[in-house]
Amino acid sequence: MVTNVLLCTVFLVVKICGATETEEGDLSGKWLESFKMTRAVWKMGFHRELVTTVECGPHSPEELHALLVQNLPRGVYVDPYQLASLQQDAGLQVLLDSEVDLEAPAYVSNGLSMFVYPTRDPGHPRNLQAVVPIHGRYHRPSSGPGWERIEIEPPRLFLRANDCVPLLPVAPRVLMDAPCSGQNLSMCKWMEIQLTQVLQDQRHISLDLPVGDQSLVVLVCAGTMLVTLLCCVLIANAIWRHVSL
Amino acid sequence: MDWMMAKLLRKWSLFTFAFFIRVVLIVFGVYQDKTMVVKYTDIDYHVFTDASHFITEGASPYHRATYRYTPLLAWLLTPNIYLTSVFGKLLFVTCDIVSSYLTYGILRGRGMSCQAACGYCSLWLLNPLSMGVSSRGNAESLLAALVLGTLSCVERRRLAAAAFLYGLSVHMKIYPVTYALPLALSLQTRGQAKAGETTIPMGRRVARFLLGLLNRDLLQFFTIAGGVFSLLTLLFYHMYGWEFLQETYLYHLMRRDIRHNFSPYFYMLYLTAESRWSLALGLAAFLPQLALLLLASLAFHSDLALCCFLHTAIFVSFNKVCTSQYFLWYLCLLPLVLPRLMLSLKQGLGLLVLWFAGQGIWLAPAYYLEFEGQNTFVLIWLAGLLFLAINTFILIQIISHYKQEDTQHRQKLD
Repeated sequence: MVTNVLLCTVFLVVKICGATETEEGDLSGKWLESFKMTRAVWKMGFHRELVTTVECGPHSPEELHALLVQNLPRGVYVDPYQLASLQQDAGLQVLLDSEVDLEAPAYVSNGLSMFVYPTRDPGHPRNLQAVVPIHGRYHRPSSGPGWERIEIEPPRLFLRANDCVPLLPVAPRVLMDAPCSGQNLSMCKWMEIQLTQVLQDQRHISLDLPVGDQSLVVLVCAGTMLVTLLCCVLIANAIWRHVSL
Repeated sequence: MDWMMAKLLRKWSLFTFAFFIRVVLIVFGVYQDKTMVVKYTDIDYHVFTDASHFITEGASPYHRATYRYTPLLAWLLTPNIYLTSVFGKLLFVTCDIVSSYLTYGILRGRGMSCQAACGYCSLWLLNPLSMGVSSRGNAESLLAALVLGTLSCVERRRLAAAAFLYGLSVHMKIYPVTYALPLALSLQTRGQAKAGETTIPMGRRVARFLLGLLNRDLLQFFTIAGGVFSLLTLLFYHMYGWEFLQETYLYHLMRRDIRHNFSPYFYMLYLTAESRWSLALGLAAFLPQLALLLLASLAFHSDLALCCFLHTAIFVSFNKVCTSQYFLWYLCLLPLVLPRLMLSLKQGLGLLVLWFAGQGIWLAPAYYLEFEGQNTFVLIWLAGLLFLAINTFILIQIISHYKQEDTQHRQKLD
């Protein structure tokens, strides 16, 4: 069943809190400096995997949860049914904000936004990672280089600790109400983390999709019509000869 | 008596063995789905099951995106939810066996020996393609059983049953609607003397054709078939509204899929998808298909099995969208055509190799496009044209080496 509930989210409670130091010594913000987010696109062709890894430093709290708010451009899509099956098999947690047309070409589609909840990477327990399968849409043919570049903007990163209270002392901070996890849809308060420094060199994550060559249109139409007509005539001739025998 | 037993045993052992292999494949599929990354079960099967799930909740099956079939299928598969998730697969493999049994019946009805009939049936029963498709949960075998059921009933002159099955099969998948003309022609000519027909002037032939429409068999057949089809359509329209018509019928009629597929037209339709010539080109692509279907109906309606086979093969080869599951639509009729083909084993195998080679040549660039991101559109287009040329060559070989049944002999049997 589709467990990815369509969310009408929810940037309702966005508030800017004043910058005050909290009494929690460990969370003084220093561990945030060792925070890092890396992104990559795995595989080739029309079926890719968007991999986002949040590397938590050695002093970060144990029970830390992350939420990535990822926008996808119209050139790619995620398959809600595949996500549902991956949630069952691999524990992938993704929520979508709208319905997805699985077949439409890019030029009649809309982009979409998703909430991705990265989970602990068993190989590197300090890392939170999400591997989301994405699929390329067909694009308008072009007379250009034969590939269309699709850029995926970096996600917004939100954090929360287990007890659902704001824990980070960095200012200014943005709070957002969003589901606590992909399975638990009750609302938690999440705090946005700015990682501009880290993200700068990663900003242009992209993938190239092959597109048809518009300059061949006359050749292709003529060739197709010629071959199909020829085949049609040959078959008709064979039928005719068989009947008249 | 012993001789009879030996034959019976051979027949039963073949059909039981074929069923057994398919059940083993289903069990293996459950295991592979649980343990491996690459799943055995076809994506369509999940679509059917999701749609059935909506039905059990009292909702429309069309809440499942990409469910483009009759609600009847989702209804049929509700035991997937209530009983076991492999129910549908068991139903499909059973249909596989049933269709072969119907083939067996038709071949035996033509006077073929039990052993020979079993031999031809084994081409379907032991065919890895049909085994794989039905045990992975693809519903094509359901259609194969309905189409073969229709043919079998027509051959045995059980026209009411044939009409019922035909109406049902057109409702399940739209493509058998092309059999309407050959069916009408065969019912119309059955009672008439055929001698000297070619010498009659065109005008009188047309008049005779129109008169033939008043034939009782024909009226009965199309009343029942049309009735079944209309009743089901009305029922489901009442239940699920416009969405049912859109997804079950209109989508397939209007389908203009620009993503790569076996069709020779794919690249042309992709490049012209937004052009103002799009509609005209779509029509131009439809004409060869229509002309050949008409011609094949007129030429071969007296041999319905061959006519349906040619119809489906032409329809699929010249269609604007073509995927590999469409090939099963005509392959299930092949065991009925083969016995009358005057081809040597070597020639037959040659054609088979050629057919697979055509698919292989298409699959290679398609793989590089889809999974490696290389721009192979032109190669896929050329491979699509080559595949059409190969299919044309095979069809011509079949037509020119086919020995049509002796109608006089047939009339004596009737």
